[in-house]
Amino acid sequence: MKILIAEDEIILQESIVKFLKRDAHVCETASDYHEAVSKISIYEYDLILLDINLITGSGLDLLKLIKREGKKIPVIIISANNSIDDKVEGLDLGADDYLTKPFHLTELNSRIKAVMRRGKYDGDTNITFNEIKVNTEGMQAYVNNKSIPLTKKEYDLLVYFITNKNRVLSKEVIAEHLWGDNIDAVDNFDFIYVHINHLRKKLTKVAANYIRTVYRIGYKFTDEDM
Amino acid sequence: MSRKKKVKLLKKTTRSFFTYSLTAMLLSVVALYFITQYIIDDETQESLNSAAFRIEKLIEKDGSLINIHPIINTEKVTNLKSQNIKDTLLYDPAEEELEPYMELTKYREINGHSYKISVRAKMVELHDVLQAIVLSSIIFLTVFLSLYYLNKKNIESVWKPFFDNLTKIKGFSIQDKQSIDFEDTDIEEFSELNTEIKALTNKVIADYENLKHFTEDISHEIQTPLAIIQAKIDNAFDENQINEKQYSLLIDISNNARRLATLNKKLILLAKIENQQFKSSNKIDFTAVLKKSIENFDGLSELPILTKEMTPIEIYFDEYLAGVIADNLISNAIKYTTSGGEIIIKATNNQFIISNTGKTPIKNPEKLYNRFYKENTTKKSLGLGLAIVKKICDRFGHTIYYSFDDYKHVFKLTFK
Repeated sequence: MKILIAEDEIILQESIVKFLKRDAHVCETASDYHEAVSKISIYEYDLILLDINLITGSGLDLLKLIKREGKKIPVIIISANNSIDDKVEGLDLGADDYLTKPFHLTELNSRIKAVMRRGKYDGDTNITFNEIKVNTEGMQAYVNNKSIPLTKKEYDLLVYFITNKNRVLSKEVIAEHLWGDNIDAVDNFDFIYVHINHLRKKLTKVAANYIRTVYRIGYKFTDEDM
Repeated sequence: MSRKKKVKLLKKTTRSFFTYSLTAMLLSVVALYFITQYIIDDETQESLNSAAFRIEKLIEKDGSLINIHPIINTEKVTNLKSQNIKDTLLYDPAEEELEPYMELTKYREINGHSYKISVRAKMVELHDVLQAIVLSSIIFLTVFLSLYYLNKKNIESVWKPFFDNLTKIKGFSIQDKQSIDFEDTDIEEFSELNTEIKALTNKVIADYENLKHFTEDISHEIQTPLAIIQAKIDNAFDENQINEKQYSLLIDISNNARRLATLNKKLILLAKIENQQFKSSNKIDFTAVLKKSIENFDGLSELPILTKEMTPIEIYFDEYLAGVIADNLISNAIKYTTSGGEIIIKATNNQFIISNTGKTPIKNPEKLYNRFYKENTTKKSLGLGLAIVKKICDRFGHTIYYSFDDYKHVFKLTFK
């Protein structure tokens, strides 16, 4: 997949590129508004990560330009502005998702995949990992085509694991993905273990154990030997 | 400090003018009456004295007794008495009625004989004096009232630009970014006042805009480096080349970066509520928002969240802020529930009630909604959740009330 990262903070841009490349994506970067405009007009991209505050212009104007030219490219806005108005404006202009800085790269990765699965980009709405298949439209998981009942949080957890397969996910990152800002209510994330264990039990009844514990750190969803 | 009672400017100026002038007028009428009477009495006495003196001279010349009833009466007496002056009523044949007279009686020894000399003068009647005074008072009063009316009209027209501009100042809203357009006036002081107020409001508008931008800029400036820190840590995790010790170090950094980001977000939210940047209010069902919020908390804590009587609460409110209220109060309840306790949520009759098990009531309930107030310092709380809830309630006219009943902390929110 070819992704354009329009972000004026070079260090952040480099970090995103480094992370996404590991999933075998082709990443190109634009460090200001004009560079982004020219790259979009010359090349074809599968997805654009768009910062709203680009040095020489607004990402929202760039979004307007993309939509005006009738390009059918998924756009995810990454912005430092948490304002609900900006979020609404960005989504109204046709952005597919809106991510507020700071964010976890695993969260970004999972959002990218979610956007790509959407019907309007002709993506596959199913996620497959060996014998496990998840139908994201019906929010239903299958093992060897047999449906397994999951709670909403367990379902979210499974999708997050598969979209970030082979990556170490800390308890904190998982908690933040599942509960967002509400994790403020609790002092530690040891309770994550309970949820992981439920999911693991349901899966290992019918499938291999892919949820590996990384001692004192977190978890990794993989079929590789550790 | 007790505040002074407020009186309208026009009322105050015209009323004091009216009362002072009226009192002065009444006093002068009374004074006029007494002065007039004194002068008349004095003049009458003088004329009686001089008449008595002339009669004395006449008797001295030829010893004849003069009697003109009722004004002059002379007679021979055997002994002398001291002179006296008195008021008396006598029948006046000319007027055919009793009339008031002033009578001066003198005793004199002239050419060896003792004489009693009485002279009388008709007094100006009291009702005549009063009549004259009342008549002139009426003239004074008429003049006074017309002056008062003219003065009032004059003051009204002088202050008119002031009142017009006061109405404009009342209509001023910082959010409209519209400076006040004052009416021009020929009164120098008012013109100066207008110029100063205009400069002041323009500065306030500019400062307000600056502050708003400052809030946004801070958000951008802080969130971006935090995003870099987070991305760097995520990459370090992902590279799988760090040992356990380094990992736990990075987790600490990451957690604190998140705390900082959360703090930043909450402060910006508070600033936005204070700057009245939330204006939208659609008809929403608060109970539906609440249910969604409860669902999002599912699994975050082992504490049971029980719901009772979840009937729709339809209000005009900002949906995002409704969610913030629900999230913050649930989050707060989870933080302060004793282990083994429970959280009970009720939404009915325009009220949202959330209670959680606790051992003792809050020590400083008056500080409950203060920023950064933490009842329990062992908790990692930022101390902003309730401050935000209170701020939203105050801004939109909802009321929140805390109580401790039967080992339960209870927050009762009543919607406007």
